[in-house]
Order: sequence, then structure tokens, then C-alpha cells
Amino acid sequence: MSRSWTRRRWAAFTLGPVIVASAGVWFVPLSRAAVAQTPPQATPRAGVVRTWLADCAVCHGSDGRGSDRAPSLAGAGAALVDYELSSGRMPLPPTASSTTKTRRHQAAYPPAQQRALVAYVVGLTGGGGEAIPTVDLRGADLAAGGEQFRLQCAACHAWAGDGGALLHREAPDLHDATPVQIAEAVRTGPGTMPAFGQAALDEAQLNGVVAYVRYLDHPTDRGGQPLWHLGPMAEGAVAVILGLGLLILVTVWIGEREPTP
Amino acid sequence: MSTPERRAEVAVGLSFLVTAAAAVGLAVVYWRGGQPQLEGLLLAVAFSGLAYGFVTWGQKLMPPGPVVEERHTLPSPPGEVAELEEDLDRGVVGRRTFIVRALTIAGGALGVAALFPIRSLGPRPGNALTTTPWRAGMRLVTDDGTPVLAADVPLDGLVTVFPEGHAGSADGQAVLVRVRPEQLHPAPGRETWSPEGLLVYSKVCTHAGCPVGLYQADDHTLLCPCHQSAFDVLDRARPVFGPAAVALPQLPIRLDGDGYVRAQGDFSAPVGPAFWSRR
Repeated sequence: MSRSWTRRRWAAFTLGPVIVASAGVWFVPLSRAAVAQTPPQATPRAGVVRTWLADCAVCHGSDGRGSDRAPSLAGAGAALVDYELSSGRMPLPPTASSTTKTRRHQAAYPPAQQRALVAYVVGLTGGGGEAIPTVDLRGADLAAGGEQFRLQCAACHAWAGDGGALLHREAPDLHDATPVQIAEAVRTGPGTMPAFGQAALDEAQLNGVVAYVRYLDHPTDRGGQPLWHLGPMAEGAVAVILGLGLLILVTVWIGEREPTP
Repeated sequence: MSTPERRAEVAVGLSFLVTAAAAVGLAVVYWRGGQPQLEGLLLAVAFSGLAYGFVTWGQKLMPPGPVVEERHTLPSPPGEVAELEEDLDRGVVGRRTFIVRALTIAGGALGVAALFPIRSLGPRPGNALTTTPWRAGMRLVTDDGTPVLAADVPLDGLVTVFPEGHAGSADGQAVLVRVRPEQLHPAPGRETWSPEGLLVYSKVCTHAGCPVGLYQADDHTLLCPCHQSAFDVLDRARPVFGPAAVALPQLPIRLDGDGYVRAQGDFSAPVGPAFWSRR
């Protein structure tokens, strides 16, 4: 019994790495080959159709008009499609069910393939929708952006952009979002999020909001210790427990007297 | 001089010197451009040195207490006591009914006069609880006063709006959302209130008055961040979850010839939490 166990363990120790290594050796050239086989400039049409049919059409339907598993992409627009693909929310993993929540992941496709897929999806469903917005952060008004963020974004995404709970839903944290993704989300309102059009934020205000959200990823914490940006409750708790505790100790020390000799 | 006393003296002196050193350091740090955390730390060290010095001085070097000075008794001289008794017997000190009545009148008049400043508490509230600045024909504007064009509100869009000329108004604030018109089944009497699927509801929660600023566009739910009251935008903003019991008041709107959104009048009900004459 013990001898066979030992032998099996030895086999696992020696064979395991060999198998993993050989799989890696096989896998790396294969994946490189797969990318090399479908260069977007060589056969863009064929490559993008294959990607569409393999990764998207399963749920959205081969014509993009949706199915009982996924909504129609008609009128989705380049901005929304680009947002979902570039933030890795789409395509969903093969194990996804109808209740799977979309989350930020590594983008599934290289940039050129992603651009081609966005153009293909928009063309397939007859165009329309929001174009990918251009973001210009050079002249952005950070203070005004912060003002608009607190007015229109902070209710769901929290004051530090950490996200928060909604009713059966959640608002994601914003720290990994790129400027273009932020602008796309604001303009199109992916998923639960409402869309913020020109009436809510004009171009200059949008640039300011994007600049402020990027700033929130590395804010200048004037107080020194950010306390994980948990907000005023955490800061108050620290002040009460540490500060008042220390004050009580000092008060006790002041009131002490040497016993009269 | 005894040894413990000498030790305490040295400790007090040293702590004051620590304060001096920290103060010099503070000045130097400030002079060289400043660093808030380091400056705060040096200031704390300086004051801690002072505190330690003073308390140790008081505890170890001052004479021990407690010291109590007894107070001597304060009797009236016997002659004065006898005189007072004599006066009482002769009736020199008697009741002064006229003076007491006059004092009562004076006090009463002062009390009544004190009621008059109630008039200075401000204008009468009138019907401020039941009305808002919204009037028929007023345009909807954003927080910076820009009028809202219907075309600038996309599907599932959300805009916080105010009455024109009252940007920032607390009781006039409202949320404008756009839904698909075919999803909308307006309540009787509200058929003309939501052109092109545009709906405006008061942003003041009917539970505790928080701003109902969270909109879940995919299930058309307005959510209040304070106590998670949820309102169904498609159905008169009826409360569907949480402590709020009353629907959000709706603002009837129309579109003018230039595409601007205008109010048809005030909200369908008084805004904010319920008060005495309202359920």
C-alpha cells in the first residue's frame, strides 16, 4: 500500500512537469501559428466572419438580431461593441450561463482583429448607434470633471471610483478602465448603466470626467494615509478609536500623582 | 538635592529641549519647501515634549497635595441680630402688595413683548410644502442652466434636470430618463406626459428625501442610495422595493417646436417625504 503510494507520488513528481512542459512546447507555437494564420490585413473578411461565427453568433444569432440567450446588437453602435470587446466583457467564457455577470478581463482579440470585428458587427446589424468617442485629455478640466463625477457618477461608482452595490446588480470599479472605455461607457450605458448624452455631459465635460476617473486611479492623498479609500466612515472610525483612545490614555496619565512619601 | 527629584528635573528639561529641537526642525522643513506629513509629525513631537515636561513637572516636582484651607464661620454680630428681631416685632418690614403687583405686570409685559419677534422668523411658509418652482411652459435645464434638447437624451439616458431659472433647486430637482415608447403604458390621465418615451420624476425620495440618483437602465429602476428604495420608471415610479411607500411624483412634460423639453405644470403630487396631510 505504502510502496504503491510512494511510487505513484514519484510518478506524479517526475511526470507532471514533463507533461506540463511538453504541453507548453506544443501550445506556444500553435497559438502563434493561429494568430499568424489570420492576419487581419491579409484576409480580414474571412477572419472576422470566422471569429463572429465562432465566438459571438452562438448567443447573438448569426445575423446579430439576438436570441433567447443574448440581446440583439441592432443599433448597438461601434462605441458599445468596442467597449464590450476591449474591456474583455465579451465574449463570455464557454462556461457562461444566462446568469453570468460580465466582468472586466484581458481583451480576447488583438487590436486589429478587434477593430475589424467592431466594424463587422456594426455593418451586419445595419449601422446606427454611437461612434467610438474621441477623448482629448490635454485641455481637460480636472476640477470640473470631479464636480460632474460626484454629481452623476459617484452615486453608483462611489466617490473614489471603487464601484458599489445596486439592487440585484453592481457598479464595477473604474480603476482599470482606459480613457476611451470610460467615454464609451458614459455615452452608451452598457448593461445596467444609463447612457449620458450631450444633454447630461457635453464634450468638454466628458473629457473632464474621463480625466478625473483616470486621476482616481492614483489620487494625491493629501492626508498621507489613504485608508484604502474606504471613505469618511473608515476615516471617522480611525479618528474615534485611535484618536480618542490615545486622548483617554493621556488624560489618565495627567491625572496620576506620585503617592505622597 | 535627592536623586529622584534630580532625575525628574533632568527629564523635564530634556523634554523641553526635544520640543525646541522639533520646532527648529519644523522651521527647517518648512523653509526647504515643506512636507505635510513630516511637518505634522514634528509639530506633534514638539507639543508632546511640552506636554510631557509640564505633566512630569506637576507630578514629580510640585509639593504633594491635596491641600485644603478650612473656611472660618461667618456669624452676624449679635447686635445686628437683635436689631432685626426688634424691627420685625415693630412691623417695619411688611408686605408690599403694590410693588409685587407692579412687578407682575412688568414681567407679564416683557413676556408678551418677547413673543413679537416670532414675526421675524421669516416669511410665512404658505404652500411651500405642496408646490415647487415648476410652472407650465418652463424649460428643463441641467445643473449649469443649459436647456435640455430632447435629441441629446439617448435611449436609456439619464439627466438630472431643474426648472429654468432655478438650477440647483432642492425641491424642483428631477430626473429625466428615456425609455422605448412601446414599453410604456401610461396610467390614465398621464397619456400626454411622456412624449417620445421621455419621463421626468422628482429626484427627492418619498421616504427620507435623499436624491434618487441611481438608475438601473436595464430594468428601468430608479434606486435611492440611502435606504435602497426602488421605483419602477415604467409604472408611475411606483415603489417596488425598500422603505418608500409613495410613488415619486411625475412631472408632465411636452416638446416645443425647437425640440426643447418643457414642463406642462408642477409635479403630480407634493415632492419629498410624506407629511401630515399626506399619507
